[in-house]
Amino acid sequence: MIYTVKLRVNGREHVVDVQPHWSLAYVLRDKLGLTGTKIGCAAGTCGTCTVILDGLAIFSCLKLAVDAQGHDITTIEGVAEGDRLHPIQASFIENHGMQCGFCTPGMIMASKALLDRNHEPTEPEVRQAIAGHLCRCGTYPRIVKSVLKATKTMREG
Amino acid sequence: MVAKYSSVGKSLPAVDSVLKVTGRLKFAGDIVVPGMLSAKILRSPYAHARILRIDTTGAEALPGVYAVITHKNIPTPKETWSCLAFSRTGPVLSETVRFNGDEVAAVAAVDEETALKAIGLIEVDYQQLPAVFDIEEAIKPDAPKVRPDGNVRPPTVFEWGDVEKGFAEADFIIENKTTMSNQQHAPLDRNACIASWTGDQVTVWTSTQTMFSLRKAIANYLDMPLHKVRVMCPPTGGSFGFWWSNNFHFIAVLLAKRAERPVRLELTREEVTATVKRREIPRTYVKLGVKNDGQIVAASYRHLFDNGAYGNKPDPFQTVVDLYPIPNVRFETVGISTNRVTAGCMRGVGDVTLGYGIEQAVDLASEKLGMDPIELRRKNHFRVGDVLHTSQEMMFARMLFPDIHTEPTQLTSSGLEECLDKGAQAIDWKQKWRGWGKPVAVKGTKRRGIGMAISTHISGVAHLGSNGAIVRVNPDGTAHLITGVGRMGQGGDTIQAQVVAEVLGIPLQDVNVIDGDTDVCPETMGTVGSVTAHMVSPTTKVAAEDAKRQILEVASAELGVTASELDIKDRRVFVKDKPEKGIGLKQLLTTDLYQTLAPPTIVGKGAEGFPFRQGGKMTMAHFVEVEVDTETGIVKVLKYVACHDSGVLLNPAFCENQSHGGVFMGCGLALTENLVFDDETGAILNPNFMDYKILSALDMPDPETIFVEVVDPAGAYGAKGIGEGTTCCVAAAIVSAVHNAIGVRIDPPITPARVLQVLGQKGNENVY
Repeated sequence: MIYTVKLRVNGREHVVDVQPHWSLAYVLRDKLGLTGTKIGCAAGTCGTCTVILDGLAIFSCLKLAVDAQGHDITTIEGVAEGDRLHPIQASFIENHGMQCGFCTPGMIMASKALLDRNHEPTEPEVRQAIAGHLCRCGTYPRIVKSVLKATKTMREG
Repeated sequence: MVAKYSSVGKSLPAVDSVLKVTGRLKFAGDIVVPGMLSAKILRSPYAHARILRIDTTGAEALPGVYAVITHKNIPTPKETWSCLAFSRTGPVLSETVRFNGDEVAAVAAVDEETALKAIGLIEVDYQQLPAVFDIEEAIKPDAPKVRPDGNVRPPTVFEWGDVEKGFAEADFIIENKTTMSNQQHAPLDRNACIASWTGDQVTVWTSTQTMFSLRKAIANYLDMPLHKVRVMCPPTGGSFGFWWSNNFHFIAVLLAKRAERPVRLELTREEVTATVKRREIPRTYVKLGVKNDGQIVAASYRHLFDNGAYGNKPDPFQTVVDLYPIPNVRFETVGISTNRVTAGCMRGVGDVTLGYGIEQAVDLASEKLGMDPIELRRKNHFRVGDVLHTSQEMMFARMLFPDIHTEPTQLTSSGLEECLDKGAQAIDWKQKWRGWGKPVAVKGTKRRGIGMAISTHISGVAHLGSNGAIVRVNPDGTAHLITGVGRMGQGGDTIQAQVVAEVLGIPLQDVNVIDGDTDVCPETMGTVGSVTAHMVSPTTKVAAEDAKRQILEVASAELGVTASELDIKDRRVFVKDKPEKGIGLKQLLTTDLYQTLAPPTIVGKGAEGFPFRQGGKMTMAHFVEVEVDTETGIVKVLKYVACHDSGVLLNPAFCENQSHGGVFMGCGLALTENLVFDDETGAILNPNFMDYKILSALDMPDPETIFVEVVDPAGAYGAKGIGEGTTCCVAAAIVSAVHNAIGVRIDPPITPARVLQVLGQKGNENVY
């Protein structure tokens, strides 16, 4: 059974044929070529598939593509404006908030979702926002630092 | 170290950091090769069995299936293939399966769903065979045979002095046995491999730390020349010893050959956890002979460890036996096969497992003497010049060149003393140490304790392979570094670029790193064992200096001075004694030479291994304060201080990140991570992130890392390694701290259930 769905991703409409059991993560990666969203576990336990849907960070591996129709979806590819990095991205670079880079898109999406609605998060709030995001390289201290520093930049800018 | 250099020693961002934050960095799982099929593997449900019958006709007939392979139809020019450092030796597919999850057959089809359906149509009749799971059972002569050549690798034995005499002369003896939880690498990324044949050439896309080793393994197995095997290597999502040559690579290669189309194989999370590799389970017996003044005069170490089904290591790989120079020692270590998934190298290797056993025994000796654990270590730990009797380099030299007499190597640099001083100060050791088994503080059911441990680790070993680097300088003065360094998050490629930038006098952003292609990159040592900063950088430096020399030769003609009078800084060649006289790099390199009527060609080359006798060792001292709740059994880390001597740091922020990673991984080993095996079937019951618990951002406070920058004589700019060493003594420090909090030593995993169990057994003895 094939369904034709319209997905609004990073401000652009995509028309794509999907099977009902396909996750949004799978469709983003394999059908739309947006491989910045990763699938670390396909079970909602690692956070690497995080996208922002209607302003909320969600695990796209737990969202069916057919259910994502009619929503605003932002992936990591939609965070920068052309060549201009988002302050969060710039902060991750400056503050070494990554090592292998695999968890980075998910961490940035979760952080962006937080900062978009909470302009002055405390450190515990930042940690809570990435609580479901695993980083085996152990970059948590500098990820938290990157987000807090970005907050400062965004407030001042 | 900062002001001395322009690039080296600075916490510059990684060269691929923009790619990482924009999601544009592609890992193997992100790569698309046009026309690629999807593969799935049929796996054994039994820990040990013989395949009596296998019928793939149903699978092959399914529309959309292009190839099915079993042990019956794959080419076997060799019986087995071997991985780097004895990590795995075994067949690709055979009629015997040796662990629950072992590969039985594989299918390539138009998509994953069709491949899965086809897997379900393969009929197999198994004859179950007796299986053995525990190493001390598997070592017995009548144990079920995991491999045709037996379960027990030839023991590795070192002996010097007279151990029995030493024990006789000691004032007291400590005897202890330890084991540890079964840790798994648990990277966030998942293994993926695409294989594609063009005539007699095969190209493989896979994330690996050891692309040249993989190329060699494939070429060897299929009797192919090296230049017909190409490994394209994207970065790995996590590392830790996991991404070497694995059996699934061969399955993809053989499927692609049979299907005559590119084939992509990606492992699920469950397969990543349960079918590739894990850390070895150790059983360590330590006997120490100690004098009343604290001098350790004799030691006997017997370290048994798990190879799993296909691991082949005769030695866990360690340096810790030489951490305490003792005049009379016997060290015996044995690798043992079991019917569980292959066990092999994981971050820290024997310095974690054997090191843990040694540190516990040293603690027991300190306790017996009523001595502060730091003091006993100060009395006994190695110093520069001390002989490393069991060094891996010496072992390999003797193995490869038995006719040459090889003396053991020596410790060439150490900051261990300063690590002890600074770490103790940072955690307030003097104020907090109350004596053995005595908590720092008690508040209701919560007891705080402090502990510490030391360790050491290689900074690579010279026999990790050949080492080459090429530095090409473009006419505009920008440069390409072509290197085979694996990219795994530790910044190995960036620090090489920093070295190039430093030597050439250009900013880091002018250097482009080209890596990840065995057809393009010179053969470089496999990125394992913390080799890159210490052993790869010198060769990169040679290549950059070669390029610089060529530039200065051109400049000397242009400026009318000898090359030795010149230097390069900020993209400009200048006369050292008269800096205002000079020429911009771009102007110099775009000027045509009369001889050739063309601009100069600048290609620098480095092609030299590392002299093994100069291999430096990193040292570290860790300190931790924990709080144990005797009501819930929960152990909380309150403060962690990691002190590291990794020589001069080429990029301090990278090293700090590595330190954090090692601490979290070590705390996971100590407290929360354990692969649970079913006793009957040998299956791993928790092959996922839900039930195999790695630390999250909420689980412990940020560790404090202190670096002691001792200049190593052989490392480029004095650098040593760091990556692996950050895990080595974490578990030992935690176990020690827990002991001091509640009066019992608990081997990892120190789960709440285990704490309560042990406290219950104690029956309220002297601690309360």
